[in-house]
Amino acid sequence: MYWVLLILMAVIVFISRYLFLEPKLPLKLNNEVLRFLSYSAPAVLAAVIAPLVLLDNGELNLDPSNPYLLGAITAVLLMLITKNTLLTAVASMTLFFVIN
Amino acid sequence: MIPLIIAVLPWGVLVGAYGVESGLSPIETQALSLVVFAGTSQLVAIGMIQAGAGMASVLVTTLLITSRHLLYSMSMRNKVKDLPLRWRTTLGFLLTDELFVNSPEKKENFNKWYALGGGLSFYIAWNLATLAGIIAGASIPNLTTIGLDFAVVATFIAILVPMIKSQSAFACISVSMAISIYCELQGIQAGLLIAILAGMTSGYFIYRVKRSEA
Repeated sequence: MYWVLLILMAVIVFISRYLFLEPKLPLKLNNEVLRFLSYSAPAVLAAVIAPLVLLDNGELNLDPSNPYLLGAITAVLLMLITKNTLLTAVASMTLFFVIN
Repeated sequence: MIPLIIAVLPWGVLVGAYGVESGLSPIETQALSLVVFAGTSQLVAIGMIQAGAGMASVLVTTLLITSRHLLYSMSMRNKVKDLPLRWRTTLGFLLTDELFVNSPEKKENFNKWYALGGGLSFYIAWNLATLAGIIAGASIPNLTTIGLDFAVVATFIAILVPMIKSQSAFACISVSMAISIYCELQGIQAGLLIAILAGMTSGYFIYRVKRSEA
C-alpha cells in the first residue's frame, strides 16, 4: 500500500512540474502573462518562509526572543549589507543554532 | 546554486530523520527522496501517514502542495518546450523551488546544461542528506525538533532580498506572507497556493498601476 501511495505521489508531483513544458499543450504566453508569472518566485519564497518564521505551534510568535524571527531578521540585514548569499545563509544558520 | 545546495542539507536531514522516527523503514524513507523529490510534500505525507490518514487525503494534499510547480513549468515553458523529450522530462523532474528561483528570467540567459548540473547536484545532495538523516535519526533522539527547517528560512531570505527591487515586488512579497500566515492559522491546506496567487496578483496589480501612471 505504501509503495502504491509513493508512486502516485511521484506521478502527481512530476505531472505538475512537467505539464507546461509539453509543447503539444496549446498555450501561448503573452508578455502580460509572463509579467504576472515573474512574480511567482518572490511569492513562493515569501509564502514558504512566513509561517516558519512567525508561527510557533500554530500561534503567532512575534516575541524578539523567537530564534526563527531573530535569525530571519539577521539574514535580511546581512543580505542587505553584504549582498553575499552564501555568507548570509551560513552565518544566519550558525547564529540560529547557537541561540536555539 | 551552491548556497541552495548547502542550505538544503539540514532540510534533507530533517526529512530523513522524521521518516524513520515516524515509523517508516529506512528504504521507504529514502525512496520518497529518490522518487518523489519534493521536500514539503514528503514532510507532510510522512506526518499524515503517521497520523493514519487515508491514501486519498494524502494524494489530495500532495496535489495542493505541489500545484505551485504548475506555475514554475508555465514560467519555464518558453525556455524548455522546444528541447527534445529527454531534456524536457529530465528538467521537469528536477524542477524544484530552488532550481526555479535560480533560473534566469530571460530566455537568452538560460543554459540547459547549467540547469541540468544545478538540478542534478541538488538531487544528489537531497538524497545524501536524507540518508544522513535516516542514519542520524536512528541514533540521535529529537533530531527533528532542533530547528533544521531554519535552513530553508536562511536561504530563501538570501534569495528573496535581492528580488525586492520595486514597489510591485514588495507588494507581492508582503501580501504573500500575510495570506500564507492567515491560511496556516486557519488550517487551510491549499494555503500555500492561495498565498502565492494572491501575492502574484498584488505584484502585477501594482505594476499595472505604476505603468499607467508613468
